[in-house]
Amino acid sequence: MIDSKQASEALTDIEDTVRRVRQSQIYQVSSLALLMWGVLACAANIAGWFWPRYGLYIWLGAYAVSAVGLVALSAYHRSKSRIRVFDGRYFLTFALIAAFGIFVCYFGQFTARQQTAFWPIYIMLFYMMAGVWFGYAFLIIGATIVALTLIGYFYIPGISLLLWMAAVNGGGLTLGGLWMRRN
Amino acid sequence: MAELDDIIHQPLRLKIMAALNALPAEVGLEFVRLKKLTGATDGNLGAHIETLAKAGYVSVDKAFVGKKPQTTVTATAVGRGAFARHVATLQEIIAGRQG
Repeated sequence: MIDSKQASEALTDIEDTVRRVRQSQIYQVSSLALLMWGVLACAANIAGWFWPRYGLYIWLGAYAVSAVGLVALSAYHRSKSRIRVFDGRYFLTFALIAAFGIFVCYFGQFTARQQTAFWPIYIMLFYMMAGVWFGYAFLIIGATIVALTLIGYFYIPGISLLLWMAAVNGGGLTLGGLWMRRN
Repeated sequence: MAELDDIIHQPLRLKIMAALNALPAEVGLEFVRLKKLTGATDGNLGAHIETLAKAGYVSVDKAFVGKKPQTTVTATAVGRGAFARHVATLQEIIAGRQG
């Protein structure tokens, strides 16, 4: 028979393993979402560079594809693992985050360039907050993309910023997704 | 007085059972992911899974995904019951009712 200290250590081991399994489930589905957002962000920034006048429509299209993609990923993951990672509350949360961002841009009367930098930084704020709760990967990905976005905002002139953001935001999310799959 | 389950109590087997038990019934974990989650080596993990399988606590399914062999380990109903009793016993020991 073991003593209470050993029993407590065994229970801590169990809790730690359960936490790792849950984190792994979150990483698995989040990494697919990151890869999807990486490709979308890259494509939307490049499309915005080619057709700057249609930037708003390009991004609205990217968000619509992203919402449909998230539903598809959620359904795919659920059919494979029978674990529901995303539900209606997540989509409502995303809608509220987007709505708040739109309000800020509207009341702040941001220029197109400021919006190009604002949205990735704003979205990465939530990644970093998620990192505090669910795993350091989100925190590192978020902080790196914020830093690179600020560098681009201050040092890349004119519309070339969109190409920088295609590489930084799109590439950063894609690499982040691939890295997360390995963790 | 409940007894600790000697098969489950070994540290790596405890981790394996904890990981599998965290999933819904009949959902398993691939060997590679289980290895990552438990931090075990291939040989060590394989040997302990075999011990758990012999006790009827886990089932092991081997299949080919494309050309790659894939081993999936799933906790059985017997294994889940044994794990729940083992955890309850640990909690009793901490509460001072045993040990």
